[in-house]
Formats: sequence, C-alpha cells, structure tokens
Amino acid sequence: MKTRIAIRRALGLGGIAAATVVASTVFARPPFTEEELAAQMDSLYEVIQVGYDLWHGSEPKMTSNGLACANCHPDTAASNPQTFPKYMTMYGKVVPWQEMVNWCIENPQLGERFDPQSDEMTAMKAYAMYLHRGLPIEPGLASEQTAAVPVAFGTGFKREPTGLGVDTREYVPERR
Amino acid sequence: MSEVNQKRRDFLAFSGKAGVATLVAQAAGINLGIVDVVKAEAGGKVDPFRFAIISDAHLYSMDDHKFDQQLIDAVNKVNNMNPMPDFVLFGGDVAQNGTEDQLVKGQKILSELKMPMKIIPGEHDWYLDMGEAWRGLFGDETWSFDHKGVHFIGLNSILVEDFWTPAGLSPKERMTVMEMLESPIPGPWGVHEKQLEWLAKDVKDLAPSTPIVIFTHSPLWDYYPRWNFQTSDAPEIREILSKFDNVMSYHGHVHQTLYNRIGNMSSVAAMSTSWPWPYPPVELAYPETRMNRADPSIATDGQGVQLIDLSESFEGLVQYKPFEDSLTPFMQDGFKV
Ligand SMILES: [Fe+2]
Ligand SMILES: [Fe+2]
Repeated sequence: MKTRIAIRRALGLGGIAAATVVASTVFARPPFTEEELAAQMDSLYEVIQVGYDLWHGSEPKMTSNGLACANCHPDTAASNPQTFPKYMTMYGKVVPWQEMVNWCIENPQLGERFDPQSDEMTAMKAYAMYLHRGLPIEPGLASEQTAAVPVAFGTGFKREPTGLGVDTREYVPERR
Repeated sequence: MSEVNQKRRDFLAFSGKAGVATLVAQAAGINLGIVDVVKAEAGGKVDPFRFAIISDAHLYSMDDHKFDQQLIDAVNKVNNMNPMPDFVLFGGDVAQNGTEDQLVKGQKILSELKMPMKIIPGEHDWYLDMGEAWRGLFGDETWSFDHKGVHFIGLNSILVEDFWTPAGLSPKERMTVMEMLESPIPGPWGVHEKQLEWLAKDVKDLAPSTPIVIFTHSPLWDYYPRWNFQTSDAPEIREILSKFDNVMSYHGHVHQTLYNRIGNMSSVAAMSTSWPWPYPPVELAYPETRMNRADPSIATDGQGVQLIDLSESFEGLVQYKPFEDSLTPFMQDGFKV
C-alpha cells in the first residue's frame, strides 16, 4: 500500500490525503546508506568551508576597503537567511538573500558582486544556512537582531581542526 | 528559573515598587540599579564631573577610509559636548590590523581631542608586534589615577595563552588569527596573573567607600565567550574589588549598547565608531538596554560615543550619543548606574 502511494506521489498522482500519509516514512527510491549520507554531508561541509573562507575575506575582489562579511556578521549572525526573500529598502522590492549579500559587497565593502547563481554565492549561502539550521523560517520579516545558532567551538561545522590554540576538537554534528 | 530570569524578575519587581514618583524624581534618566537606594546614602565623596568614552575605531591603512571620518566625527562630537567632559577614555581597537601606520593615524585623530585621554588596548591593536607600537604611542596599558574623588583603573584584558610559538606562526599570521571575532584558535582572553597582582596592590590601601571605575576592552562578566565578550579572570577581578561599596565597569569590544550588574559592580558597554555588532544568542538580564538593529544602508547607524556624568554620591548617568537615531525610547535619556 505504502509503495503504491509513493509511486503515485512520485508521478504526481497523489491527493492531499495520500501525501500526508507518506510524509516522512516512504522514499521514492530505496533510502541512502549511512555511507552515502555521510558522503553527501561531507560534500556540503566542503562547500560550507568555501563559504566560510569567502565570508572571512578570502576573495580580494569582494572588497576594496578591507571589510569582509564577518566584520559585521560573526558566525553569520544577523545575516538572517531564514527571512529571505524579503523587502529591502535599498532595492525597494523583495529580493533573495544572495542579492542582499551582493548589496553588502558593493556598498559597505566597495567590492565586486557575484553572479547570484555562482558557486561562490552558493557556498556563502550554504555556510549561513548551516549556521541557521533549525531556526524558524520567517519569510518577509524585517526581523529584529536575529542570531545564528550558538557555536560552541571551532567554525561551527565539520572540518579538520587546525590544532592551534584551543582548536583541537572534532566537530560532531547533532543528528536530526 | 534561570539566573538571568531571576535577576530580571528582581529588576521588574524593583521597578514596580519604585513606582511613578521615583521615576519622575529621576527625570534625568531611568534607574536600572537595585543598589542605588543604598548608594545614595553613602554620599558626598565625588566632586561631580563628566567623562566621555570613544571606542573601537578599527582604522584601516587606506587613505580616506570611511572609518577615519567616523573617528573624526566621534572626536568632534565629544569636543562639542557642553559642558565639556574632563577627559576621554578610549576603549581599545584603534587599529584593525595592528600596524603602526594605523595606530599612528588613530593617535593623530585622537590628538584633536580638547581634553586629556586615557586608553587601553584591544586585540586588534596588539597581536602584530605584541603591543610594541601601541606602547610607544600610548604608554603603559595598565594604569590608575584619581580624579575628583574617583579612582580610575585601566587593564589590558586581551591577553591569551601563546598559541603561535609552538606552531611557528609569523606575527602577521598571529594577528590574522586574532582579528577574527569568532576565531576558533585563541580561546578566552584575560588580564592574567601579573595584572591581577598589580590590581590587588593598587587598591590595597583604598577605603571601601572609594568610588571605583574600572576600564577594560572586554566585559568583566561572561556575556558570550565565543566572541570573547568576556574576560576569563573577571571573577578574580570582581573578587579583588568586592570590598568596595560601588564599582563601575566600562568596556569596549562589543560594539553595542549594553548594561549588566553583578554584585557591587555595574557594567556598561561602549558603542563603536566603526560598525555595530549583532547581539549574540544569549538571554540578557536587562534586554531593554539593547539598541535598535542598525540599518546597513546608513553607514554610521548603530555607532557613536558615550557620556557619563558622575554625581556627588557616585551615581552615574550614562548617555549614549549615537551618530544616528539608534536608541530605543527607553535608552534615549540615558540611565543611572
Ligand atoms: Fe572592536
Ligand atoms: Fe575588540
């Protein structure tokens, strides 16, 4: 029965009731193995690392006055990815998060914008989203000073510790 | 109930009891402290005066960088205060990358102040040459002086354990590690043993009724250690100062308005002149002392200077003087510490 519903759903045939029934238990293909899931997460962490580096000034084109995203947004705090798309006064319209990042690059940082579809922008979004995981999505709100999830140590995502100073602990992501 | 919640409840209960009459009587500001009632009775030790705080200029090496002008604006703001403050405290982070040219630029701008200045270092000033250029320009980083009945103390709170020598890092690499607020490497800062000993000696012969102001780059309480919004040996500092009736702590580094009270010590943060920092994901005992979220399209929003008036009974009226309209109505007329 469940399999039939999953097939119907995959083909776009499922009604609302059917979709509700299968919501989290049935996959349209066999579930990924632990190894596959770990490999997928590792790919994500690699991209997050690129985003983290860009956020902290690894790309000179992003600034001509020395400022990086992290000057004002440590641990991506107050970058509010969970609130986009939203209306931004500087554009006078609803824009995606990537456009807001481009605004910061071009204005406070006096740098060169990225293509919103670029790997660089995807990497920064991956970093910001990872540090806002689990927070409620609130599209459109010009929210108050929202913060990212508290980061206990390290960079807040899985990567090789440098071994310098107190940076020696392996990051273990919590399971959902 | 968390400690913070309990404190907040105590605060709210007190506010309730104080009632409208008290608030009217304190027309100049809003009273945040529970201890002020007691304090007022001690009285008569200070020859009233005012001082200003400027902090966190984060100057870059480029000519005509926008932060240069923002520091100039801060200096002008303080110079135009009427009556003029007796002196200015600078809260650290003159420079962004700790280079001599940045520190020299800062000193040049700050030399336009019409009143004397005392200064303590921030992490951005220090870790390129371990304070050599800073000391050459500004002198000793640990100091105390007496002014009109108040004992002022300045400490260097940005000292960390040596992570660079074993790893063979260059001065520039060490500095880069320290420039990141959320750097995973250095761990918590402090004032360390020598300054603790100095402090104990400095206050040894002072009577408990002596009004004390202590000035550091980082807060003397655990706010958000992840961003070094803390000083690791703050408990020892507070212990040394515990004999005093009233201690005021002022600090930089957090780039935001903020108040807290622990025991006999009130703690007040300075806004920066460079950029505002978001409030970290922790609960505050006095959330009403937060400023508005800065509008990024206004380059100087969420920044400014501060003015503190000390009364005869060593009561402080703290007024943030932002460049823009950054304060909530609660904070607009200042508050008492
Ligand atoms: Fe700073
Ligand atoms: Fe700092």
